[in-house]
Amino acid sequence: MKTNFRKDKDESSTHENETHSEQKDLTQEEFEEYIAKSGAKGSFMVYRSSKKDEELGLDEL
Amino acid sequence: MSNNLPSTKELQKSIEDIMKKKQYENFNEWITNFALNLPSIWNDRSAKELTPTTEQYGKHSAIVIGRGPSINKYEHLKLLAASDYNGTIVCCDGKLADALKAGVTPDRFPRYFVTTIDPYPTIKKHYEHEIIGSYGSKIKGIFTIITNPLVVERARQFGIQIHWLHSLFDYNEGMKSFNNLSALMIRAKNNTHRLPGIQTGGNVGTASWFISWQILKCTTIALIGINHGWEEDDPWETIIYHNNKEEISEGIDRNSPTFNKLFRKIYNPDFNCNCILDPLFQFYSEALKEFIVRSPEWVTTINATEGGSIFGDRVNSMKFKDFLKKYCS
Repeated sequence: MKTNFRKDKDESSTHENETHSEQKDLTQEEFEEYIAKSGAKGSFMVYRSSKKDEELGLDEL
Repeated sequence: MSNNLPSTKELQKSIEDIMKKKQYENFNEWITNFALNLPSIWNDRSAKELTPTTEQYGKHSAIVIGRGPSINKYEHLKLLAASDYNGTIVCCDGKLADALKAGVTPDRFPRYFVTTIDPYPTIKKHYEHEIIGSYGSKIKGIFTIITNPLVVERARQFGIQIHWLHSLFDYNEGMKSFNNLSALMIRAKNNTHRLPGIQTGGNVGTASWFISWQILKCTTIALIGINHGWEEDDPWETIIYHNNKEEISEGIDRNSPTFNKLFRKIYNPDFNCNCILDPLFQFYSEALKEFIVRSPEWVTTINATEGGSIFGDRVNSMKFKDFLKKYCS
């Protein structure tokens, strides 16, 4: 099967480490650049509120 | 200035802030959409009317159908069409035509809903296939009030009966928030005409999960095609352009130094497979997993996608055929 990534021999033990080590190097600017280039249309925002229950939705407005 | 992001939580907040800023670039478009939809909203139904009465409450299941890559890989629609499942179908707009073509129709599954959350005119393409015309009158649409009117018109032409809701995004800002002002305008002619407000989680898949339990009161929700990530063998072009090349994306240079950081590979232990997360899917995935953990105790979430990035606390993973075996009665 064609794959886009090299498969690790011991996948279950290596992926978690890979994820965390790379994540530390990410910056806001890199994310922002990606979002700018990807357009981010087809997406929406996550609703946040100081009233945490509201974040799960409201029966009616 | 380059700020390293030390934790998943901070990273997620950062992404959410960036997404919010990006989304607000389209604020005027949302308001225009709402203004043009308002006369229809006054006359159409509230999604709240889809909530069963207390007497009708009971154990009901729903299947949320998304368009993530594993749904085709494992032929989930074919499995569903051939099953005796008698629960609720909540289909994301982008997969509606495929679902109908595969035999997942309201004739087979009478409790059938389609959801539209994105406010952009490109969503119209999801309602253009003629097969929707054969079943539209039997499908209930659950649409955000900021849906592009061209999308609304097209869905309506096919007979879909639209039920409206609010996409929450600024209600926390009080009386002058758009969420509050739009609610006041909707109630201007009839104060009892109130719509539910939902957390979208940033995409129609997560919104459909919310709709399934918050509005439709389904106690068990199975996810198919909700990968929130790519398969390893998905074409690179699809991954880099977030499957939107023709419309919206400049894509990312594979030779750029940040490439491997942006497109992370993670391991899904529940299905023993890898998944590729781009930043958008990371944003979606973290939010959905958070909300699954925070959902009421009576909600059971089953990931039957057989891949993707949704696993962890309160996510019960099982193959879709096993879900169907368990929940077909």
